[in-house]
Amino acid sequence: MLPAAGEPAAGDSWGMLACLCAVLWHLPAVPALNRTGDPGPGPSIQKTYDLTRYLEHQLRSLAGTYLNYLGPPFNEPDFNPPRLGAETLPRATVNLEVWRSLNDRLRLTQNYEAYSHLLCYLRGLNRQAATAELRRSLAHFCTSLQGLLGSIAGVMAALGYPLPQPLPGTEPTWTPGPAHSDFLQKMDDFWLLKELQTWLWRSAKDFNRLKKKMQPPAAAVTLHLEAHGF
Amino acid sequence: MAAPVPWACCAVLAAAAAVVYAQRHGPQETPHVQYERLGSDVTLPCGTANWDAAVTWRVNGTDLAPDLLNGSQLVLRGLELGHSGVYACFHRDSWHLRHQVLLNVGLPPREPVLSCRSNTYPKGFYCSWHLPTPTYIPNTFNVTVLHGSKIMVCEKDPALKNRCHIRYMHLFSTVKYKVSISVSNALGHNATAITFDEFTIVKPDPPENVVARPVPSNPRRLEVTWQTPSTWPDPESFPLKFFLRYRPLILDQWQHVELSDGTAHTITDAYAGKEYIIQVAAKDNEIGTWSDWSVAAHATPWTEEPRHLTTEAQAPDHDQHHQLPGTPTHHEDL
Repeated sequence: MLPAAGEPAAGDSWGMLACLCAVLWHLPAVPALNRTGDPGPGPSIQKTYDLTRYLEHQLRSLAGTYLNYLGPPFNEPDFNPPRLGAETLPRATVNLEVWRSLNDRLRLTQNYEAYSHLLCYLRGLNRQAATAELRRSLAHFCTSLQGLLGSIAGVMAALGYPLPQPLPGTEPTWTPGPAHSDFLQKMDDFWLLKELQTWLWRSAKDFNRLKKKMQPPAAAVTLHLEAHGF
Repeated sequence: MAAPVPWACCAVLAAAAAVVYAQRHGPQETPHVQYERLGSDVTLPCGTANWDAAVTWRVNGTDLAPDLLNGSQLVLRGLELGHSGVYACFHRDSWHLRHQVLLNVGLPPREPVLSCRSNTYPKGFYCSWHLPTPTYIPNTFNVTVLHGSKIMVCEKDPALKNRCHIRYMHLFSTVKYKVSISVSNALGHNATAITFDEFTIVKPDPPENVVARPVPSNPRRLEVTWQTPSTWPDPESFPLKFFLRYRPLILDQWQHVELSDGTAHTITDAYAGKEYIIQVAAKDNEIGTWSDWSVAAHATPWTEEPRHLTTEAQAPDHDQHHQLPGTPTHHEDL
C-alpha cells in the first residue's frame, strides 16, 4: 500500500504523501473510552483547548526557526505575498456569521479534518528538512499535533459524533505536475506554517465556544446570548 | 438753457453709473484665496492695476506702510502665521476697492501617523491618523483598506474626523490587511501605509467600573471587582483575561496578579491601614495585546478603629506604624 521506498520524484512537493496520508486517515485515532462514571465531554474539551495553546506556543519557536532556515524574504516580518498556490491547504478563514452559527458537530469536524491534512503536510516538510535539529523539532511538533487530533477525536466520540471519513477526491492526491521550483516550494512551506498558526488560534476560539455550551449553567448563558443576538 | 436731455443720453448715463457701481461693489468683494508657505516670500499684485498705479494696501482693515510696496504690489518677506488675513488694495484717491486676497500661511503636510486597532473583535477594527506637526491650513485625508487584493470600505466615524471603521467579513484570515492614507493640502501632499495580520491589532478597551472595597474584619484584604469593557462584543466566545496591579500609595513597586477568568479578585497581602491604588487591564485570551490600564480605584483595608479620613496627607499614625502585619485583632467573631 505504501509507495516503494525511494527518492521523491522531482517537482512532487506534497503530492507524494498521498498514500501515506491515506494510511493516516485510517489510523485508529479514537482512544478507548470508559463511559461509566463519565464526567461528560467538558474535561476533554478543556484538555483540547489547552493542547491548542501548547501547540501554538510550540509553533511560534518552530516557525521562527524554520522561516530562518528558508531565508529571506520568508523570515521578514513584513513579508506579505499573495495567496497563490497552496490550494489544497485547509483554510481557517471563514465568514463571521457562518463561524458563529456552526453546529458543534461541524465545528469539531472542520477542526479534525484540518489538522489531519496539516499533519500530513507537516510530515512531508519533515522529510525534506535539511538539518537534523529541524527534523527533530518538526517530529516533536508532529507528535504533539497527533495528540491534538486524538483529543479532538475523543471529544467527538464523547458527544456521539462519527469521525469524518475521507471522501474520495478530497484527500491530498498525487498530481504529477510540472517541476516545483525551489522558491515555490518555499512559498508552500510558508503558507503551511501560516495556516497552521491561524488554525491553532481559530481552534482556541472554537473550543472556547464549545466549552461554554457544555457548561451546566449553559441554559442561563444561552438565554443571555440570545438576548444579545449572539 | 433748459433744453430737455434726450432719453438716449439718460440711458448712457445710467449705464455708466451702473458700471461704476459694479466696479465699487462687484466681484472684487469676494476675495481671492491664496495659500503660501511659512517662511517664504510673496508678492501680491493689486489685481489688474498697472505697476505704477497709486494704491494703498490694507490688511484686515489696517493700513500697511508704503515701504512694503513695490509699485502697486505688496511684498511680504519671511511669511509668519500672523501674516494670514484679508489683504485689500484701494485706489489711493478714490478709495475704490480694486482687489482682495485672503492669504493663508501654512505648510505642506508631513508624513501622517497611522495606526489601527481592534477593540471590538471579532466585529471589526478602526484606524486613526494624525499629522505629527500642524499645517495651519485645511487638509484632506483619503484612506484605503486592502485585504489581499480586495478593497474594503472604511466608514467615517460619526464623531471623530480622523478615524474610520472597518467591519470584518471573514475571521481567521492568513492574508494581511494593508491600510494606506494620503493627505494633501494646497501646498503639498504626503502618504503612508501599514500592513498587519488580523490578530496583531487586537487590543481591548480597559476594564470598566473598577471598584475596590475593604473586607470587614480583615485588615489585610481588599476586594476588587470590575466589568469587561462594554465595547467588547462577545465575551462568551472571546473571553478576556485580566491583569491586576496594586500598590500602597507610599510605595513605587507594583504587585501583579494575572487572572484567567472572572471579574473579581481579593488581595490578601495588603499592608494594614495603608491606602492602595489598584488598576486592571484586559487582553483576549489568545491573541493581541493588553489594554491600557483602567481608571485607578483607591481603597484602604479595614482597620479596627474608625479612621478620620482627610483628603490631605495626614501625619503618620504611630499606632498603625508599629502594628505588625498579621497581628490578631481583638474581635472574637471574624
